[in-house]
Amino acid sequence: MMRYLLRRLAHAFLLVIGVSILAFLFTTLAPGNYFDEMRLNPQIAPETLVALRTQYQLNRPLPVRYASWVNSVLHGEMGFSFAYNTSVAPLLLLRAKNTLILTVTATLLAWAIALPLGVWSAERLGQFPDRLISWSTAALLVVPDLALALGLLVLALRTGWFPTGGMASVDFESLSSLNKIRDLALHMALPVATLVLSALPLLVRHVRAAVADVLDAPFLLAAEGHGIPRRTLLFRYALPAANPLVSLFGFSIGALLSGSLLVEVVMSWPGLGPFLLEAILARDIYVVIGGVLFSTIFLVAGNFLADMLLYWVDPRIRSASTPG
Amino acid sequence: MSRRRKVAIWLLVLGALHGVVLCAGFFAPYDPVEQDRKSPYLPPMRLHFVDMRGQFHLRPFVYVLQLRPASFDQYVEDTTRPRPLKFFTFGDRYRLLGFLPSRLHFFGAGDERIYLLGTDAFGRDQLSRLLFGGQVSLLAGLLGAGFTLLIGWCIGAAAGYYGGWRDDLLMRVAELFLALPWLYLLFAIRAFLPLTVNPLQAFFLIVAVIAAVGWARPARLVRGIVLSAKERDFVRAARGFGASHLYLLRRHILPETSSVLLTQAAILIPQYVLAEMTLSFLGLGVPEPVPSWGNLLSNLQQYSVLVSYWWMYLPALIMVPFFLGYLGLASALQERAEAYKIQRRSFGSLA
Amino acid sequence: MELLLKVENLVKRYARRNFAGARQEFLALDGVSFAVSAGTTLAIVGESGSGKSTLASCIACLETPTSGNLWFEGTNLVQAAERELRKIRPRIQLIFPDPASSLSARWPVFGILVEPLVLQGKLNRNEMKKRGFSLLERVGLSPDIAWRPPSELSGGQRQRLAIARALALDPVLLILDEALSALDCSVQAQIANLLLELQSSLTMTLLFITHDLTMAAHLADEIAVMSHGRIIEHGPSAEVLRNPRQEATRQLLAAVPRLPRAPLPAAQQ
Repeated sequence: MMRYLLRRLAHAFLLVIGVSILAFLFTTLAPGNYFDEMRLNPQIAPETLVALRTQYQLNRPLPVRYASWVNSVLHGEMGFSFAYNTSVAPLLLLRAKNTLILTVTATLLAWAIALPLGVWSAERLGQFPDRLISWSTAALLVVPDLALALGLLVLALRTGWFPTGGMASVDFESLSSLNKIRDLALHMALPVATLVLSALPLLVRHVRAAVADVLDAPFLLAAEGHGIPRRTLLFRYALPAANPLVSLFGFSIGALLSGSLLVEVVMSWPGLGPFLLEAILARDIYVVIGGVLFSTIFLVAGNFLADMLLYWVDPRIRSASTPG
Repeated sequence: MSRRRKVAIWLLVLGALHGVVLCAGFFAPYDPVEQDRKSPYLPPMRLHFVDMRGQFHLRPFVYVLQLRPASFDQYVEDTTRPRPLKFFTFGDRYRLLGFLPSRLHFFGAGDERIYLLGTDAFGRDQLSRLLFGGQVSLLAGLLGAGFTLLIGWCIGAAAGYYGGWRDDLLMRVAELFLALPWLYLLFAIRAFLPLTVNPLQAFFLIVAVIAAVGWARPARLVRGIVLSAKERDFVRAARGFGASHLYLLRRHILPETSSVLLTQAAILIPQYVLAEMTLSFLGLGVPEPVPSWGNLLSNLQQYSVLVSYWWMYLPALIMVPFFLGYLGLASALQERAEAYKIQRRSFGSLA
Repeated sequence: MELLLKVENLVKRYARRNFAGARQEFLALDGVSFAVSAGTTLAIVGESGSGKSTLASCIACLETPTSGNLWFEGTNLVQAAERELRKIRPRIQLIFPDPASSLSARWPVFGILVEPLVLQGKLNRNEMKKRGFSLLERVGLSPDIAWRPPSELSGGQRQRLAIARALALDPVLLILDEALSALDCSVQAQIANLLLELQSSLTMTLLFITHDLTMAAHLADEIAVMSHGRIIEHGPSAEVLRNPRQEATRQLLAAVPRLPRAPLPAAQQ
């Protein structure tokens, strides 16, 4: 068990390193840098610009910059933000926490809805409830996330039931603990709803397909013959056997992360999304690299979790990886 | 309904949708960049068939909109001034399909301006902008998907056919690209390219960026097919006749990948159009004044616009029929591929 | 009679990754040695997993052995370059066990048949057409199946097609890898007789791989018995059948259903 775990961990680690190199490589494609804006300003002397560039090491060759960046990462700084004039890591960590809150909630909620819906659908394959769900998911699938996000925003603006942006009300600090949670939930409602609605159709479809496949299996029939109650049968026997689902879990994390980028910008949720956008527009390279890296780490971590889950659930992998 | 018919029907539907956008110059009454400063944020004009006296007209007409007294953005219909729609009229100059000069438009209202989908802050006709914007967004999606599939096809085929360290290396790189959430990767690549470019350059930039992002998944699929096709007996038999690698790939192996590529195309194209819309919406894509479905929505980031002028939201829904068409096509193609696989499997078991 | 094929200590090892990522090795051939004289028929018999198909692939130059020597018409196939092999491959033809998968489902019968000729590129269209039809006739197939898809043929017809295709390039060595196992008994007999007839008229050398010892005895001059990647017994067919020396051979003999002693029925009308 440990060997498998370590192997997957090493794999994940190498992946993150590879991504960081890839991100760095892209900087060579970039004409222009942070100081181009300043160059247009006649009041700043060109020598100042050169000095600034040297100070920020923008004129060193790529491997050197990469090495010093890695060094900076090991020191917990992750490079330097030109716009904010401080190291990147603390800025990103705060934003990353907010994005995590959103994404994890959305993932859990989406799966919590998709699993029962999918199983229910698979049980009644071809009948009316199944058809209804299929049609609804198809309808949801064809609406772009952008339209969903904007639409929900209009809803909030028109009805005033939900706050229309941000993560906390102005008087957040003065609220009681219970009210703080309520406030957070209200602010999270719209972004989470958008993410869940956009992820739901594909998840439900895949769960339905996977479970439908498994429901035919003889071992389930045998278990039923043993008198095992229906619900236990479905969730403890059928579901784990539906293998593709765990890899779908990893895939859904990636999709939700990408989705959260857009949703955060539209709904002004202070996560990695708007921060990254700002950095791109300002050419703040190290922030961009850091942000991309963070999102990769989340995704890789999510996939790692999915791998561990798969290992725990699927005895075939367990026996295949143990020596003997 | 036969599977082939299903595919054909969806293709027809998509063809019609794309056809309308292709001939945007014909279907749109006005030039998309033409401004009408006197009519900012005009709501859509409703089509009427029955006039104030209860008389039915075959030819639809609209009423000229007038500012409600004591308001600066509320309009009412002036029922004393109906304007009939004229079909196949002559209007602004444009180039059909990009090169045929023409002045024939599907409909218009003569000298009067008719805004079936309202106008934006600069008084530009939203319907025209929607149609022309579709050209940009759809083309970006189609080209992007085309390039991605080409890259993925080549890399997947190479990895699957040669195997060994080449396969390992290519698939590791593919894993890298798959490890990044695609929108973040898109952003990252876009970040490192010039921000202020002219619309044409911006367009090709986006296409290149979108294409560079998604090759990994098709590559893996193609690799899987090539790997298994390589071991099929009829391929080995052909090797036995002295076939070269190129011949095997060309005649036996790569034709096996066609169905996967088609299905991937039907899945990727709408995703890529959406990617362009997202980039343009956020200001990283096609810049003004060239319309694209994305940048038509970008001023919706101001809540006041979002609430007061509901017709500005419509471009967000324009993707729906296209998505539907591509979804239907992808399902129909997948069904056909499944059926063919089952057919082949049973063919193999006959003794 | 000169030796056409000489196999020396052939070893083939496969390395695989299972889906947990661990490397596993599999030894298919563990030092196989034998020789075949031109114009004779050698049968290689063994149970499933004994390495027979791997041996066939290696001799047909479709797999590269891990070590050992493979002498064919004076050339060592193990060490030959790909370009040389490409020229040698047409002279050794392999007939596959599954008649369906060895024929491309997308092409009509005639296209499949003349593919080797097209590849060689030495004949023009008319010559190819003539040769194609004469091959069809040679194996007993009617010319009006020429434009049908292979899915419309029966198993026996497909195998005849595969043989016809293999003959297109005038091979000197024909390897039949369990070529009859997927067919019905009566059809097996028909094809077996066809093979015997072709061998005598075209003076080919046949390498017949099977798990059916009786069939082997009927068709072959010599029998070699394989088990776990090695040849454990080799001798003239009558000898091996009457006095099997190894336990494995005895087991193979015992596995054959006992039928009254009679020559195999000729082709059914």
